[in-house]
Amino acid sequence: MSEQVKTTRIPIVERVLEANDQLAETVRSELARRGIFAIDLIGAPGSGKTALLEATLRQLKGRRRPAVLVGDLATRRDGDRLARWCDRVVQISTGDGCHLEAGQVRDALTQLDLDGVDILFIENVGNLICPVGFDLGQAVKVGLFSLTEGDDKAAKHPYLVTAANLVLLNKIDLAPYVSFDRSGFEADVRLLNANVPILSVSATTGEGLDRWLDWLDRGVSGAQGARAT
Amino acid sequence: MHEFSIAEALATQVLRHAPPGRRVREVEIRVGAMRGLEPDAMQMCWDAVTHETALAGSVLVMDMLPWSLACPACGRVWESPVLFAECSCGEVSPRPTAGDELDLVSMTVDDDDGEPEATAAKGEAGAS
Ligand SMILES: Nc1nc2c(ncn2[C@@H]2O[C@H](COP(=O)(O)OP(=O)(O)O)[C@@H](O)[C@H]2O)c(=O)[nH]1
Ligand SMILES: [Mg+2]
Ligand SMILES: [Zn+2]
Ligand SMILES: [Zn+2]
Repeated sequence: MSEQVKTTRIPIVERVLEANDQLAETVRSELARRGIFAIDLIGAPGSGKTALLEATLRQLKGRRRPAVLVGDLATRRDGDRLARWCDRVVQISTGDGCHLEAGQVRDALTQLDLDGVDILFIENVGNLICPVGFDLGQAVKVGLFSLTEGDDKAAKHPYLVTAANLVLLNKIDLAPYVSFDRSGFEADVRLLNANVPILSVSATTGEGLDRWLDWLDRGVSGAQGARAT
Repeated sequence: MHEFSIAEALATQVLRHAPPGRRVREVEIRVGAMRGLEPDAMQMCWDAVTHETALAGSVLVMDMLPWSLACPACGRVWESPVLFAECSCGEVSPRPTAGDELDLVSMTVDDDDGEPEATAAKGEAGAS
């Protein structure tokens, strides 16, 4: 095609998502300045992200001042479910976008009164792969799996498992009804992320939520302590 | 399809780096195995995103990196097409050492018609 045209190869080497990463850093420093512990909750559609947040917000009532951002493809349903438990909820309609990006989080945060807020939950779009690559400025990523998805999902989604600061296994109330090799699942997680805590919970029955709430409390203390110094 | 957002981000990035007035022929990226990027889907998205833009017709070259595994027992490090692999020493749990790369590596642009020699010299300096 270009026999006559001389060309030059220009080496660059820069992360493709550099622009998103820079925006995420501005979000992160703003949240850190306010002492807000921010959680990016990532899991498959139907794994129970909204249900877990509903149960969590119910428990935090009167103890913490949470805010929630929820990414949803087309509806306001998740946002409406969460607004029953928390008066600071912003729904981010992603259209056909399969993940949240830092710019959307930054814009959504401007719609919230963040005064006094100490914990921010971000329910990402239901997807186990691509949200992992988009930094939102969160303090931690939580990978949510559930018993009904099958025990091979950690092995099949190494990026999420590797990036996660906590792995939650939801729907343990269904353990008597589904075959799920919990030790195999945990071995896969350990292979990818040797020290990540793994907590089993049920958003429906509340089983195991106390340890999840303890983990959140430690995160909030850390974020508030870091602001104080 | 996250390939679409990545293609969009990449196109913006390439336009930012491209020398003004020089046609971009080729864009080279490096993709770690963890990213779960589908080359065919990525190619399709690149064509769609660049259609009728200054980047139309540019070739996207994807260097899909294999897994890099490290054996916790014997310390061997090697490249593997699959994540779950046994080490030659018998250890069954080698761990991935990387895989989240997603980098723009280079772009190839037409030389400036006006001063081909100067441009070629600059290109050589840049490539070394
Ligand atoms: N049995 C059981 N069902 C659950 C649990 N958590 C969520 N679900 C159900 O799983 C479905 C999907 O939950 P949802 O919160 O909408 O999932 P999301 O798409 O990840 O936000 C709903 O029917 C929930 O009632 C759980 O711990 N146990
Ligand atoms: Mg939901
Ligand atoms: Zn996506
Ligand atoms: Zn070995």
